[in-house]
Amino acid sequence: MKEYQVVGKSVRRLDALEKATGMGTFTTDLALPGMLYAKVLRSPHAHARIVKIDTGRAEQLPGVEAVACFKNTTRVKFNHSATMTFTVPPMEAVLDECIYDDVVRYVGDEVAAVAAVSERIAEEALALIDVEYELLPAVFDPVKAMEPDAPDIHIKKAGCFLCGKNIPGEKIHLALGNVEEGFKESDVIIEETFYLPVQKQAQLETQAALATVSNNGDITVWSTTQTPHPTRQILSHIFQIPQSKIRVLNPPYIGGGFGVRIGLSAKAEPIAVDLAMKTKKPVKIVYDRKEDFTSTDTRHSGIVTVKLGAKKDGTFQALQLKGLLNTGAYCSFGAETIGVLGAMGLSVYRAPHMLYTGNSVYTNITPAGAFRGFGNPQAMFAIETVVDMMAERLGMDAKELRLKNIIKPGDPWILPYSCQSTGLAECIEKGAKEIGWERRGTLNKPGDTLRRGIGMAVGTHVSDAWPFCGDFSNAYVTIQADGSVHVASGVPDMGTGTRTTLGQFAAEVIGVGMEHVSVTIADTQSTPFDIGSHASRTCYVAGQAVMKAATEARGYALAYAANMLNEPLEDLTILDAVVFCRGDRKLTLAEVARHAHLHNEQFIGVGKVIPQNAPPWLAHFAEVEVDTETGQVRLLKMVAAHDVGKAINPVIVEGQLQGGVVQGMGYALSEEVIFDREGRSQHDAYHKYMLLTAEDMPEIKAIIVEAEDPTGPCGAKGVGETGQVATAPAIASAIYDAVGVRMKQLPMTEERVFQALQELQKR
Amino acid sequence: MSKLKVAFQLNDKDVALSVDPNDTLLDVLRGQLNLTGTKKGCGKGECGACTVILDGEAVNACLIPIMKVMGRSVQTIEGIGDEKNLHPLQEAFIDKGAIQCGYCTPGMIMSSKALLDKTKSPTQSEIREAIAGNICRCTGYVKIEEAVQAAAEKMRDS
Ligand code: FES
Ligand code: FES
Repeated sequence: MKEYQVVGKSVRRLDALEKATGMGTFTTDLALPGMLYAKVLRSPHAHARIVKIDTGRAEQLPGVEAVACFKNTTRVKFNHSATMTFTVPPMEAVLDECIYDDVVRYVGDEVAAVAAVSERIAEEALALIDVEYELLPAVFDPVKAMEPDAPDIHIKKAGCFLCGKNIPGEKIHLALGNVEEGFKESDVIIEETFYLPVQKQAQLETQAALATVSNNGDITVWSTTQTPHPTRQILSHIFQIPQSKIRVLNPPYIGGGFGVRIGLSAKAEPIAVDLAMKTKKPVKIVYDRKEDFTSTDTRHSGIVTVKLGAKKDGTFQALQLKGLLNTGAYCSFGAETIGVLGAMGLSVYRAPHMLYTGNSVYTNITPAGAFRGFGNPQAMFAIETVVDMMAERLGMDAKELRLKNIIKPGDPWILPYSCQSTGLAECIEKGAKEIGWERRGTLNKPGDTLRRGIGMAVGTHVSDAWPFCGDFSNAYVTIQADGSVHVASGVPDMGTGTRTTLGQFAAEVIGVGMEHVSVTIADTQSTPFDIGSHASRTCYVAGQAVMKAATEARGYALAYAANMLNEPLEDLTILDAVVFCRGDRKLTLAEVARHAHLHNEQFIGVGKVIPQNAPPWLAHFAEVEVDTETGQVRLLKMVAAHDVGKAINPVIVEGQLQGGVVQGMGYALSEEVIFDREGRSQHDAYHKYMLLTAEDMPEIKAIIVEAEDPTGPCGAKGVGETGQVATAPAIASAIYDAVGVRMKQLPMTEERVFQALQELQKR
Repeated sequence: MSKLKVAFQLNDKDVALSVDPNDTLLDVLRGQLNLTGTKKGCGKGECGACTVILDGEAVNACLIPIMKVMGRSVQTIEGIGDEKNLHPLQEAFIDKGAIQCGYCTPGMIMSSKALLDKTKSPTQSEIREAIAGNICRCTGYVKIEEAVQAAAEKMRDS
């Protein structure tokens, strides 16, 4: 394995000091002189037409400077997710929303907004807006929404692309071999259907934006977006203004994201920009927590069916997967998530025959979009539970069955890029050892009411969005006149450590310590175009761009130094910010850069990357205790063994895994947003939405496996999302080991487990 | 709205302000005093991002009407240490990788500080109880707990 100086070391995060001292700036902290505050009037109805809206009384309230609604605001259609900027032909981006429409499609949909001198006055003004609604029939169930007599939530017209009743985008069809043949060749076939809930990102900083418009029309927007450059493209489209007139940036910190702001921060940016244009003053909008729950993207709920056929010896013969995702009132990432669900679900195991069919469907609930894992957790809860059942049916150990069937490099697989690395077998072995897998099935005595169990599940993910969406990165790396290194990359750091990791790549390539490196991120004006932070891509793709740019900058510096020293270029190298020639210290990098500066030269490298893709791999193990008298599940230990390729900063990687696992634990056991019969969210506040707290934590062990991928920067692969992927099925598998019930619906709440136990007794 | 005068100790200094009596301590800290280190995640006492120390107790600043602070002592993240003189908790959060997005961090540190000010050798469950009202959606709490333990150790040694 290659020896590195900075890469692979848990260097201190570049953002940690500011954040630990309360000095880090987030969008919600910003204020500008003369700034106005915006508040939004939201629909109380799940589906209605606005027949009359009168904003007169609100406009009269002292302190109110503008009221916006569909009547006085642009109605250009867009998609608040970044899909509208990188959906690759022949797929078409679905453009199905405007800032305010004359039809509202879910409880919480935008009706109007007020800009006023204080948040309180803006809020008061909302109550003075008179709206008359004509109620329209609504549908909440994804299966019913596809029936011929269901209400149409969107009509097919330019931009709003439907391929069936309430089905946005495309139906996805992926096939390998012929599953019918495969099932005929199988000795055992298991088919099961699973029900997945709405989960909420619940990131700590709500959606927020602050917009200014100068009198020559230049727009600046500070916001919580995970993708400043695509956000600029979307705003340019909505307001029909050239991209060059718009600047979008993070301030620079974002209080989490997990996918909720890939593209716009819900509608924070366009609402603020529109009101800033109307008032000619800076306008700030901060969603309150309730709005963040009701009116920003969620994880897709849905239904997944798995049919698995195997030979008696355990060889998988055929795997068929069907997906249906409820994308809510607007498409957002609906068309892509359903594709990733199938693609990821079918790329873990080798089977000669595979088939996936799936689609998303509109209903009148909060739109669903991107959330860590992006369809993959839905797929793997279903698949891994069926694999567990198959092991039992075949009388095989669940771990051995997996080891027998997992993909190896060179196997045929469903994805259009190749699998060049896998450490999954190592993840499985290391995780099994850590949890004590051999104890499985031996933990209880007959009659125990507190019963223990051990379970496992595996999975994979992506390292960027290609080929599901467009994906590329650019970066600038400059060696300044004093020898220090500056990196400019368009990706935000929403807490995942991007900034530090990118700095490490530049430091490593050029040959300087981290103290010489500074990193500018997430600003359309000072960084080159980048898709942004999503799809576990920032380290893998933006990292490659930074390495390329740094290599180029280093090349210029060395060429210059060779000239200065009159030595052959190939004999020179840079270590610790010093230029060495055949092992002898010659000049500091600062001396070279200073000399160059005085002779009119600077070392600027540009890195442009069109990435491939690479699969990270993961094996999760859980130990639980189930109370058979109440159905309560207590987690005792979670093990997450992940092949992340080269871990660029191991502490950051561990943090990603631990955080992802805990979100997965919530998905497994408690987190769910339920809508009532009128389509109103029953879980629109932190105290109603059951997040796990510090007191609920089991022992969590993250194990890093490094099967380096030849396509990744220093061999790195994606890690941002993997922790979520197979947590729930590992816990389900442990529950089965403990009490013998197969849970087919998430979350596995006390009530649901208790009910399943009761049914088991009846049988 | 008529303004009222309020005087209290903030980070060991006396402050006197005229305030809107409907404001909370959080509104005044962030809006009037520009102390934005104390974060707002919900405004309803449900997330702990706004935790400050009031007369030695960790409280949610978003639930404290500003007039209730009269004559009392408030400590915020800005008052416990800076880059030259970090509080052991700040140092431990940085060193242990307990900070990701950082939005929960000031509140976490203040809740932990209220604990360590009283309890020199906290048990795991005392630490967990102290931060049970602080939501962190990024870290999974593992490294936060480690950081609080490390800080407690350091404070005992010094
Ligand atoms: S902002 Fe005070 S508890 Fe959430
Ligand atoms: S670090 Fe992001 S919420 Fe705790």
